[in-house]
Amino acid sequence: MSATAWLELIASGLITGGIYALVALGLNLQYGLMRILNIAHGEFLMLGAYLTWMAQASFGISPLWMVPVSFVLLMLLGVAIHWLFFRRLAATSPNLDIFEARGLMVAFGLMFLVQNLVSYVWGGDLRGYDFLTEPLAVGGAQFAANKLLVLALALAFSGALIVLFRMTLLGKGVRALMQSPVGAQLVGIDTKRLHPAMFGIGLGLSGVAGCLLSMAYTISPAMGEPYTVTALIVITLGGFGSMSGALAGGLLLGVVEAIGMHFTNPSLKALLSYVVFIGVLLLRPKGLFSK
Amino acid sequence: MNSRQLLIRDALVLFGLTGWALSLPYYGSEFAVSMALTCLMYVALSSSWGLFCGSTRYLSLATSAFFGIGAYTSALMLERIGWTESILLGAAIATAVAVAMGAAVLHLRGTYFAVLTFGMTELIRHAISYFEKSVTGTVGRVLAVVPERDTIYLTVLVLAAGTVALSIAVRRTRFGLALMGIGADEQRAQTLGVNTRRVKLAGFAMTAAVAGAMGAAVSVRWTYIDPHTVFNPFIGFQTVLIALIGGPVTLWGPLIAAVVFSLLAETLRLQAPQVYMMSLGMLLILSVLYLPGGLASLRWVTLRQWRDDTRAWWRERRYEWSGEKEREKRRARERRLV
Repeated sequence: MSATAWLELIASGLITGGIYALVALGLNLQYGLMRILNIAHGEFLMLGAYLTWMAQASFGISPLWMVPVSFVLLMLLGVAIHWLFFRRLAATSPNLDIFEARGLMVAFGLMFLVQNLVSYVWGGDLRGYDFLTEPLAVGGAQFAANKLLVLALALAFSGALIVLFRMTLLGKGVRALMQSPVGAQLVGIDTKRLHPAMFGIGLGLSGVAGCLLSMAYTISPAMGEPYTVTALIVITLGGFGSMSGALAGGLLLGVVEAIGMHFTNPSLKALLSYVVFIGVLLLRPKGLFSK
Repeated sequence: MNSRQLLIRDALVLFGLTGWALSLPYYGSEFAVSMALTCLMYVALSSSWGLFCGSTRYLSLATSAFFGIGAYTSALMLERIGWTESILLGAAIATAVAVAMGAAVLHLRGTYFAVLTFGMTELIRHAISYFEKSVTGTVGRVLAVVPERDTIYLTVLVLAAGTVALSIAVRRTRFGLALMGIGADEQRAQTLGVNTRRVKLAGFAMTAAVAGAMGAAVSVRWTYIDPHTVFNPFIGFQTVLIALIGGPVTLWGPLIAAVVFSLLAETLRLQAPQVYMMSLGMLLILSVLYLPGGLASLRWVTLRQWRDDTRAWWRERRYEWSGEKEREKRRARERRLV
């Protein structure tokens, strides 16, 4: 294989990896902070993708405008969902273990609800639109411009989130909550406000990921579930609750999948990611990068 | 009621229900029998799920893996060995897989366990479809020789009634108590001399055996199977759903919920499949939020509690909306100033 072919292969891995990282960051925020394992996370990605498609196809709005719009819409939806379901769940559950199990069940319910609502409203067909499809030559290799844009935006959003958590007081509060919920409350961190906000930001990120995905790939109501599973794999790779771990894990998984698929067989892709997932969970349950 | 009276009651109820189900094929339509089959299938699956996962609170999503293994076993072996043998073999292979899987994952609790069992199910499904595609060169399998409808119905009925009977029996043994003990506090159970590892493994294998036998018995109705239908994760989800909505720790909860679900599924699924799935999701969320003990824990007291809660909530809102709350606050402030 030549150097350009390697470059193209790794870049295509990084592009999918960027999306993986974005979805995983949102899920990690919800699980790391609130112990809500949101199985419905990929469904909100699908919702973001459909919103973007609808805005593009029906009203002619540029998908780029839909990036912030879908973030805000999904964030509002996330705050509403937290307020409706998880607030009551947290208040009535006797301990964290039971809350986690019940939260998982509520998320399953949400998954059924959102997925079927979308296929009821928009139908089960594959959808898509053309956006920036002309190829772009970078260092002798050819890339579709929309995919490069997807990668750049995904990295920008993930980077912004990580910087937000490292540098600001808000981020410090969130990290404190992850370390010790009781301790954080004792020093005056307002969980009642932070929890819905962070749940919303998590969903908003998955909405952005869906919006980006729809620029480069076709979309369907069933597209969300594989991304949920991949996000789960990524956060186990990076370690539950670790943000930079999720980013690195997402990019790594994307590249591993691309290389593995190139050298073996595309139908092995799902098998490959499950083997990685189960292997990591059994051998290094705290994540690849933990000390 | 003391424990002996409870046993007699449960046995009588089971006896009566079995007798009624036994007579159904002789007067019911084809549609009713097919509905009863689905119903019995979910009764067995969710009762056996509740038996282990409900009492120990280990949330397993692997039911569809065992179901699919059973289905494939009977699809491959039915022409070579008999009907009963292929069902037994299906149960045996599912049990063996469960023991291997359980040895690897049963030391993990909570979400880790749920996610891992789900991952393993998907792994098995993808591995089998890859094997079929690349080695045998087929996507699915056609079942040429199938037993008669009444034979299948009788087998499924025996399996369902047997599972409920097993559930009644296990509750009264040391083993059942050990399972409950693990659910309440695993470390304490261990300290009190329960070999938790072995108990959990045995319980997990028991659920798998029932699911495997059920898969072997039901799949012949479909006459064509492929990995995506028999390993469909939805079978596992729906089992968990039914058990949770009915009440996973209770004996009759899964049965009640299975009947409700089969009726709902048959009436809604054909006309509006999405509406069916949405109502499933909504029901699950509502039952987790407002009825965590499941349908079987519903009593007059619960209904009264709901009524009182709604009234209290409404009184609060009226107090707020009428502006009385604001006035009250202002008066308090003025009193402080004076």
